[in-house]
Amino acid sequence: MRLRKLLVLIIGLMTTFVLVAAACGNDDDGDTTPSTAGQTDSGGDTGSDSGGGSSSDSGGDSMGSVSGSVTISGSSTVEPISVRVAELFESVQPDVQVTVDGPGTGDGFKLFCEGETDISDASRQIKDSEAEVCAANGIEFVELRVGIDGIAVMTGEGNSVECVTFNDIYGLVGPESTGFGSWSDAGTLGLATSNLPDVDLDIYGPGEESGTFDSFIEIVLEDIADERGQDATTRPDYNANADDNVIIQGIQSSDTSFGWVGFAFAAHASGVKLLDVDGGGGCVSANADTIASGEYPVSRSLYIYVNKAKAAASPAVTAYVDYYMSDDGLGTAVSDVGYVNLTDDAKGATRANWAGR
Amino acid sequence: MAKARLIGDRTSKVMVQAMERRSTDVRGLVFQITLLVTLLISLFVLAVLIVDVVMDGWGILTGRPGGFLSGTMRSLSDDPKLGVHQALVGTFWIAVFVAVLAFPIGIGAAIWLEEYAPKNRIARFIELNIRNLAGVPSIVFGLLGLFLFVKHLEGVTGGKSIASAGITLAILVLPIVIITAQEAIRAVPQGLKEGAYGVGATKWTMIRSQVLPYAAPGILTGTLLSMSRGIGEAAPLLLVGAVSGRLGSNPGFLDLSAINAKAFMAMPVIIVEWVQNSGRDPGFAEAAAAAIVVLLVFVILMNAAAIFLRNHFEKKRG
Repeated sequence: MRLRKLLVLIIGLMTTFVLVAAACGNDDDGDTTPSTAGQTDSGGDTGSDSGGGSSSDSGGDSMGSVSGSVTISGSSTVEPISVRVAELFESVQPDVQVTVDGPGTGDGFKLFCEGETDISDASRQIKDSEAEVCAANGIEFVELRVGIDGIAVMTGEGNSVECVTFNDIYGLVGPESTGFGSWSDAGTLGLATSNLPDVDLDIYGPGEESGTFDSFIEIVLEDIADERGQDATTRPDYNANADDNVIIQGIQSSDTSFGWVGFAFAAHASGVKLLDVDGGGGCVSANADTIASGEYPVSRSLYIYVNKAKAAASPAVTAYVDYYMSDDGLGTAVSDVGYVNLTDDAKGATRANWAGR
Repeated sequence: MAKARLIGDRTSKVMVQAMERRSTDVRGLVFQITLLVTLLISLFVLAVLIVDVVMDGWGILTGRPGGFLSGTMRSLSDDPKLGVHQALVGTFWIAVFVAVLAFPIGIGAAIWLEEYAPKNRIARFIELNIRNLAGVPSIVFGLLGLFLFVKHLEGVTGGKSIASAGITLAILVLPIVIITAQEAIRAVPQGLKEGAYGVGATKWTMIRSQVLPYAAPGILTGTLLSMSRGIGEAAPLLLVGAVSGRLGSNPGFLDLSAINAKAFMAMPVIIVEWVQNSGRDPGFAEAAAAAIVVLLVFVILMNAAAIFLRNHFEKKRG
């Protein structure tokens, strides 16, 4: 029967593939304890790691070993912090499975307030409407501020401009600036702008897919655009790139360029000038201190929201958030993935929030 | 040379001589060159794409191929444990779901439409709808999957699971499977069918012994190509809930409990995620390229299986 042979052949091929893939992969066939699989190193390649893994296992004893799972969803901006914390946490509590998703802050709160997730990542505070849904479903939460995301506004080294206001930025890259080729054109919109020079304007920035793009609009452009009855967006005619390094190269390439990227990238860049920004309270230069203190206006806080009942019921969730609150979490993990640490006072406040839940 | 190429191998010598004595066929030559150019354009685009991706991912692919295949999602691109294992497991099981669900259902529907369906308006209406379904954007199937399999059938599928994703993609490729299988069945010579009837076969025997074996190579090629298309889809998977940040569990390929576990990961989604991450951490661009190559190899392997099977059946058909 030919059909039967076909079937046998297909199954044979599939099996071969699975076996080949499994041989390449890291299956230790003790599948009954899947939590160990994440820890297991893959045969020869990373064999040197296995020693470190076992020693940290024993190190976790002081906290008492817990197992279970933690489900996190929410902001894709905060996602890397929570993932990084989970990775570091792995060496302390290898039996806790932490799953982190990043559909966006709003989607995250939707799931959180239906009780689907234990923790919600957020790049803004919860809205009243979202909190009402949580309350209606009987979900109590604690809000923990974990880090700060700053955005650096930059130009080329040879530019004479030192400081820009929000109005200036709106005039340079806002929706009404389409076609402007000179810095001084920013003044033609009728906004109160600084005295900007009449030099060529070359703009480099992240594209629409970027969280930095959204934050920049939200913090700098949105209010002015709303007042003027415009869509809250940027002009379409600038050099948009998803790669921050390309943006920085673009800004370096011209003395009269203008651009913005996440602060983590700008801080390490050479050949660019970070502009001071005046958000209404005078010119403030961008550095880790002013971003952490909130003086630098183009920055936003990053939060996690923890479901109180789930934390009380699950030692895994509690252990994970405890670890998040340690210096490994609020310190190392936050800076590892490129965000700005909270000031020590703010860290203390966050820890107090968690302790007083 | 060019003239000789215009004439097929089987044309008789006399005809070849007659044709070669004609004046140069300028229009024909222009037509031929145009065709060649169109082929070269499509090949060039493909080559640029593949060369670019392979070059970007070369460091990872040659540096630590085993570690990359067995690694998991990580937050930093220079993490030695960064890899695609979880995503590959997800994509593999999704492919199995598509094969197990879409192929029998699709081929069955095609046989009914071609051999049993009355040739009336209703049948034509059904066929028209299947053809339209094949052109529906994949995100629409993702919505269907979200409402039907993730929300309403959560008890069966486990919610945002590999099962939900697999069923969704099976439905996505179903119209294409039906159409390609129909074409293959339609290509079976009428003489074969009549011959079977002539020796007293029933309709069922005729389909089983003549139509299916003859159409098998065509059906196979079409269905496996449609599967390759299906497993490359990212949009419906994002809707059905593939995890983008970190998957806590790391099941093996043969771990059946992973199928309706509450979270899963798939190759197209990991590629999207890493390309996005490359803004924050440029090293992820390299990882994304390497993941694309892994997915390409996976798809090429499947297509190779299709070609192998087709040749096998064509030899049998003789």
